[in-house]
Amino acid sequence: MPTILLVEDNELNRDMLSRRLIRRGYTVITAHDGEQGHTMACSDSPDLILMDVGLPRMDGWQVTRLLKSNAGTREIPIIALTAHALLTDREKAREVGCDDYDTKPIEFERLLHKIESLLVVKGVL
Amino acid sequence: MNLRNLSIERKLTLLAMLTSTLAVVLSSASFLIYDLVTFRSILSQDLATEAQIVAYNSAAAMAFNDEAAATVQLSALTAKQDLVAAVLYKSDGTVFAHYYRAGSPKPELPAPVEGREARVASGHIEVFNDVSLRGERLGTLFLQSDMQRWNTRARQYAGILVIFVLLSGLLAWFVSSRMQRLVSRPILDLEQAMRIVSVDKNYGVRAVKTTSDETGRLIDGFNTMLAEIQHRDKALQRANNDLKTRTQELEDEIVHRKRTQEELLKAKDAAEEASRAKSAFLANMSHELRTPLNAIIGYSEILEEETRDSGPAENVRDLRRIQGAGKHLLSLINDVLDLSKIEAGKMALHLETFEVESLLEEMITTLQPAAERNANRLQLRVHGDIGSMHADITKVRQILFNLLSNACKFTENGTVTLDAERQPGSEDRLYFRVTDTGIGMTPQQQRNLFQYFAQADSSTARKYGGTGLGLAISQRFTHMMRGDIHVTSHSGQGSTFTLELPAKVAPEAAEPSSELPASPPVVETLSDLPARTTVLVIDDDVSVRDLMSRFLEKLDYRVISAPSGLEGLRLAREIQPDIITLDVVMPQMNGWDVLDQLKSDPALASIPVIMITVVDHEALGLERGASNYLVKPIDRDRLAEALDRHRRPDEDSMALALSGDR
Repeated sequence: MPTILLVEDNELNRDMLSRRLIRRGYTVITAHDGEQGHTMACSDSPDLILMDVGLPRMDGWQVTRLLKSNAGTREIPIIALTAHALLTDREKAREVGCDDYDTKPIEFERLLHKIESLLVVKGVL
Repeated sequence: MNLRNLSIERKLTLLAMLTSTLAVVLSSASFLIYDLVTFRSILSQDLATEAQIVAYNSAAAMAFNDEAAATVQLSALTAKQDLVAAVLYKSDGTVFAHYYRAGSPKPELPAPVEGREARVASGHIEVFNDVSLRGERLGTLFLQSDMQRWNTRARQYAGILVIFVLLSGLLAWFVSSRMQRLVSRPILDLEQAMRIVSVDKNYGVRAVKTTSDETGRLIDGFNTMLAEIQHRDKALQRANNDLKTRTQELEDEIVHRKRTQEELLKAKDAAEEASRAKSAFLANMSHELRTPLNAIIGYSEILEEETRDSGPAENVRDLRRIQGAGKHLLSLINDVLDLSKIEAGKMALHLETFEVESLLEEMITTLQPAAERNANRLQLRVHGDIGSMHADITKVRQILFNLLSNACKFTENGTVTLDAERQPGSEDRLYFRVTDTGIGMTPQQQRNLFQYFAQADSSTARKYGGTGLGLAISQRFTHMMRGDIHVTSHSGQGSTFTLELPAKVAPEAAEPSSELPASPPVVETLSDLPARTTVLVIDDDVSVRDLMSRFLEKLDYRVISAPSGLEGLRLAREIQPDIITLDVVMPQMNGWDVLDQLKSDPALASIPVIMITVVDHEALGLERGASNYLVKPIDRDRLAEALDRHRRPDEDSMALALSGDR
């Protein structure tokens, strides 16, 4: 089954989302800040990354930009999770190279739908 | 010493003295001269008489040529002290006998003169007299007398005169120095009074009038003048005091106003600060509330999934309730956050161009589950080519979602229809109509529809859920995009909500984009508030509303339009417009009824109403309280003129009043 890297600093959100993804059969690895997220994205080669943007040490936008500029990680789809449905966030997501974005609070089914579509496009599913 | 500079007293004294002395001198001198002249003629007469006697007596001596006798005869004249010389000439002019006063020099003898003659020559009186005997002239007698007596007399007289003049001058001085006071005293008193007035500025002083002459009148005049000055002075003083009091009052007033202004400014700052704090608090709170709430919802969802697989089935229902309550709370928080942003003027429009039909299809898909929940049929009818629109898609989506989910919520086993239509014009407008066959609303319910927490009644919330903020937010979003939202409904027969938006939302309608209030949102300052005159246009015809809006906005009015009488009344209460234009022929509630309701509401009665209609009943309109009556087709100039009459006199000063409505 595909591996999803969840980069999220809030413990409850991390726990919740990872458990629900696991229930749906995904392998979930988690990182709790930007740096760790970047390291794990490079070392563990996940199939998809869920990236919270408000992260300590290095924010989600920066991590995404780094990953998208690296040939080894460029192909990993990234879904940005933003706290607010602002146009600026949407534009920012597009600008830094996110493949999709979703807003918090997470509506699980909707997010799942987005994850699946990206994985289908990538040919993992 | 200049005579002119002498004091009046001296002048008067001098005048009197000079006059009297002059009179005395003149009269005395004339008397003296007369006396001296008379005395001289007496002297010459005396001498002539003497000469006659001596000539008579000497005639015999001369006839007998008796020189000695003649000399004796002449010597008898020694008794006459002032006689200087006595000479007897013979008829041939030679001296016969002579007498010269002892001690006196021998006088020059004049040639004898025939006949009788008396003359005064070189300080002497000289007399010639013929010496005759029996008619025969024998010779001539010559007597010469000095003026000794006359001189003495003249000297004595002169002395007397001097003494007399001195005495009379003294007397004149004495008298005049006393008498002059009659004249000078009142003048001096007057002068004294004047000095007091001019030095002390004391206009209460009065000169004492002692006489009724010119000086008396002068004093009267002076006193009258003083009284007048005093009177005016008092009036001036009074006016001055009044002025001072008034100035003081004004100063107090200014101080008072300044203080009030400062207090107002302080209050305004405090209010703004409080508002800022409130907004910041709300933003933070809603963020802080959402985080644990997300956890509650998320975990209850996990639990529900897990319980469905393995746990007791009855727990699933409870977990769903927790989720339901959590989601309700979440939407409430989101709505409150939206509202706080709207209230703070921080809600921004993010304009983009998008295809309308795909948005509508997405909405229908999203709401399908909600429709199915109440066994409703959800249908979309797009009339004609709807094309794309330029607006804030998130807000359009939110408004439509709100209208559609409401319709689904309040309808059971019915149909919810979303009609969409594009109306071309100089500015295309899009109409979205959400019609349901649900419970509908009473007019009362419709009135409160767009107000915060205004569900049909409190039981509605229990039965149907919802925050009661959705429509209020939808309406404000619509207004932000220069659109309109209104409802027609009949209780029990369903409702129709119509959302009307410009196809291209003007960018000036959009407020500058801003970050979400991680930092406290800045509250608009007073000067940013729309201080323009607000006109509420009530007309059921969209093209009229559209035309009016554009025309009036060009004239710098703020225009808010209402498509029906009811909505017009509601808006009038809500926004308290400065002017209302009112169509007469409208469905449901016609213009006359609207006018009556406006005029019977104390809060609205003062708003000028301009009736605009095809029906010419001007008298009726004015009688019922309309300010103007214009007949369609509208004459723009007349409309502009009618509106201008009710424009705010000073728009800036109204900003404060307006801010109270916000």
